[in-house]
Amino acid sequence: MKKFTVTLLALCALAPFAGAQAKKKAAKVAGPEALALQAQYYDRVQIPTPPGEVVEVSSIALMPGKKVAIATRRGDVWVCEGAYEDDVTKVKWTKFASNLHEPLGMFYKDKSLFLTQRPEHTRLTDTDGDGKADAFDTICAKWGINGDYHEYAFGTDPDKDGNVWVVLCLTGSFHAYSPWRGWCVRITPEGKMIPTTSGIRSPGGIGMNDKGDVFYTDNQGVWNGSSSLKWLRPGSFQGNPTGNKSAALLGFPAPPEPKSGSRVLAERLKFPDFVPPAVVLPHGKVGNSPSGIACDMTKGKWGPWANQLFVGEQTASQVQRVNLEVVNGLYQGAVFHFLQGFEAGLVPVRMDQEDGTLFIGGTNRGWGSRGSQPFTFERVRYKGKVPFEMHDISARHDGFEVTFTHPVDAASAGDLASYSLDAFTYIYQSAYGSPEVDQAKPTVKSATVSADGLKVRLVVDGLVRGHIHHLVADGVRNKAGDALWHNEGWYTLNEIPAAK
Amino acid sequence: MRTPTLLALLAATSVSFAAEDGAQVYNSLCVACHGPDGKGLNGLPPLVGSDWPKGAAERSIKIVLQGMTGPVDVAGKTYNIDMPPQGAVLSDEKIAAALTYVRKTFAAGAGAVTPDLVKSVRAATAGRTTPWTAAELLKAHPFPPTRTALVNLVGTMYKGEWKELPDFSKLKPAQIEDENTGIISPAQASLKDAFAMVWEAKFEAPQDGKYTFVFDCDDFGALYVNGERIAEIKGIGPVGGRRKEVPVLLKKGLVPFRLEYVEVAGHEVIQLGYKGPKDKEFNWLSDTKGAGGKAAGKARAPIPIEAKDGYAASYRNFIAGTTPRALGFGFPNGTNLAYSADNCAVELLWTGKFMDGAHHWIDRGAGNEPPAGEGVVKASDGQAVAGASAPSGAIVAFRGAKADEFKAVPVAAEFKGYQLDKHGSPTFKVAGEGFTLTDAWTPAGAAGLTRTLTAAGDKPVTVTLARGMLAVAAKDGAFELGPRLVIRPSAGVAPTAAANELTLTLKPGESATLGYSFR
Repeated sequence: MKKFTVTLLALCALAPFAGAQAKKKAAKVAGPEALALQAQYYDRVQIPTPPGEVVEVSSIALMPGKKVAIATRRGDVWVCEGAYEDDVTKVKWTKFASNLHEPLGMFYKDKSLFLTQRPEHTRLTDTDGDGKADAFDTICAKWGINGDYHEYAFGTDPDKDGNVWVVLCLTGSFHAYSPWRGWCVRITPEGKMIPTTSGIRSPGGIGMNDKGDVFYTDNQGVWNGSSSLKWLRPGSFQGNPTGNKSAALLGFPAPPEPKSGSRVLAERLKFPDFVPPAVVLPHGKVGNSPSGIACDMTKGKWGPWANQLFVGEQTASQVQRVNLEVVNGLYQGAVFHFLQGFEAGLVPVRMDQEDGTLFIGGTNRGWGSRGSQPFTFERVRYKGKVPFEMHDISARHDGFEVTFTHPVDAASAGDLASYSLDAFTYIYQSAYGSPEVDQAKPTVKSATVSADGLKVRLVVDGLVRGHIHHLVADGVRNKAGDALWHNEGWYTLNEIPAAK
Repeated sequence: MRTPTLLALLAATSVSFAAEDGAQVYNSLCVACHGPDGKGLNGLPPLVGSDWPKGAAERSIKIVLQGMTGPVDVAGKTYNIDMPPQGAVLSDEKIAAALTYVRKTFAAGAGAVTPDLVKSVRAATAGRTTPWTAAELLKAHPFPPTRTALVNLVGTMYKGEWKELPDFSKLKPAQIEDENTGIISPAQASLKDAFAMVWEAKFEAPQDGKYTFVFDCDDFGALYVNGERIAEIKGIGPVGGRRKEVPVLLKKGLVPFRLEYVEVAGHEVIQLGYKGPKDKEFNWLSDTKGAGGKAAGKARAPIPIEAKDGYAASYRNFIAGTTPRALGFGFPNGTNLAYSADNCAVELLWTGKFMDGAHHWIDRGAGNEPPAGEGVVKASDGQAVAGASAPSGAIVAFRGAKADEFKAVPVAAEFKGYQLDKHGSPTFKVAGEGFTLTDAWTPAGAAGLTRTLTAAGDKPVTVTLARGMLAVAAKDGAFELGPRLVIRPSAGVAPTAAANELTLTLKPGESATLGYSFR
């Protein structure tokens, strides 16, 4: 059977019509060739973890003096010196705290490490200067937990008011058997808990964009046809009604009770509080299990991606890239494949905004991943060579504008055959996941290259509001004749902008 | 020239393309956990070497449609990992193709699965919204029977409540069933509580020699081999502490076998096995396996958490016997405690080993882990710190285990964290309306702890030292919490003892020291 397939493929390659197809083929998307190409742009280094220790990295915090703190799923907090050095084999690790309760979110402030662990938000301080935490101050422990392993709590850095945002996974990812499961809450510096959004299922990470708006990733499952990146607008409903009952605890208005078997667009038009996913990360195509979020505010040190979001992916051991824009008051945008080949399933990602280093941590305990090591701590740096990419996709009333990182070759970028589009959505339902449905085939009517060659305006027939628009630009070349590093993007068209 | 050849080939291979589709589904979805080779990635269940993909395809179809939850034995190892349902994602054709691929590739000999079968199972289980458990699936679609040493096994159930084994000859059976599997299980009874079962069979001894039987049960019972009562478990209780291992000499052939069993209430478990003259491990005749068996339960090696270099060990996780917000401390002198941050109380005290991390640190870590040591004393239950007056509502806790039970309740005190001293010993911090309280624990002597409570603020605070679980006996100025633990207040400290409660009230600025010692 296998042999047969190989023969068939070989025949395809020889066939005259297949030759034309091959010319348009982009860079290899997987395997050693793809990793070698990636290495031209980004330098990925695995940092040795403390010998003999199980270091399933669950949180990463940056400390003064180029120290990096990591927390592990077993609950240890370690401080690393030398993580920025050329020779990472010389890193020095110091254990700061032990056996806390599965921390997922940590930052450094005012000489303390603050950490969101399963039962509470906690401040850890070394008051006697011996290098070990001795004060463990509980800031807030108001949310419910009942002993279910799936009741994870992911926390952010402080926002502009000093509040930490915590997303609370459902019990077993299906139920709300404890108060405030399925909610995002804000924790004030004084320890007050402010329930902020309802509608959460199973988060994999949480973070902010450059404006300080907070986003989280939610995994495919009940009421989530696919995984997605969601915007936590205060007061909003995020789509999963399982935890709605907690609203009554503080006399809040009842969150929406959407209809199963419908579409996100139809239901969110009924319920104005329902904020649709900002960017859907199509299941199985972009990834299977999105996790941590980091924003590029490095002013070019991480590459030409100012203010874009970088999203970890647990199953595929990758980092995806997201550009966002606001249309009619809602966030939306595109996701692109970006970095791959990490050694375990990614959970936390942390950008050093000064230095432009991205730290990532991984574990594949309990959930499998393409990266085959049980855990990993890695560092990625931009090498300074701009890859040829779609920088971003932006919606227009009659299509899209695609900005490229290199000036494009006008002939290929102006050729309609260089692009293909398809669009789809998912069933919005109480069952687990969804097939792709309502497929549509919008067509590119014209492609106009800007004078500087950096932008291409695509006029499209048949845009579908609410659909994910999958744009493949496999024919576009830069002036040197190179194909795109990644030639496809998925744009979630929540809103079609009005004509200007 | 070439194109026609290619088309001909495409036409000729349409069947292969269908099979290819199954591989594609497998490699885009299933592969993330079960691995490209079907061997399972890092601690995830394999398909190769597993009985699960074999036999009735309905079992596999249900798992794919609605998912699976809870513990499951696969190829000799117990997993406790959820399989997410795919019924809403995959069409009948795709499920059929993927399962056909799995059965052909990883379960040699298992036949193809048709879309029609998937369709009919989907229709039959349309009302099912929750994932399946292993027990449910195996009840509906058992693995092909495996022969045990028990031949012609018959189980007879009796209804009633007994404190010791009754004379079964005088009782009227409520149910009689052939158990062709040769496996004994309390689940074969139609009742959950207040019943007895007698199993009779012939035990097949493959050769002359010594056979060691192991027997344990919840609640009680007796084992007869070759007409002799060789082991008896008396009284009401769980498996573990009363296990019997008895050698018997048998001749090759069929010998009479009888097991009498009584379940009063709660859990029902039977662990019954034997080791023949040539066996290195026990062969199990019961559905539940005890320690030392072939595929016996958890394959996890323990990860002991212990005090090191005179520094106390700590463990924040789900500890059985206290609340979910639990903090354990294991002191260098072999004493241990578990504090409930929900109730602001030390709720468990024990000696010996502190905790085993393997349960929570391998796989996903579902469930509570009991203390690893001995003689766990449950000191109290519920809120243990109260102010002078009823809480005003300034501090609210959210409680409830189901959405229709959720409530916001005023509480008298809340946990504020803890401070560790140079030896890792904790001082727990609590605050309420008008008071703060510190609760310090340090190891003392060979098997004791010193507790120092200090109140501050402008209102008195009452601390519950023990409640509800054990009778408190006052003796020579000390208080006994059951047979193992003695609390001795230092001079001038006068707790108030009631029938099964011991409390201590501190005025603002007051401090009290109490010695805890284990016998």
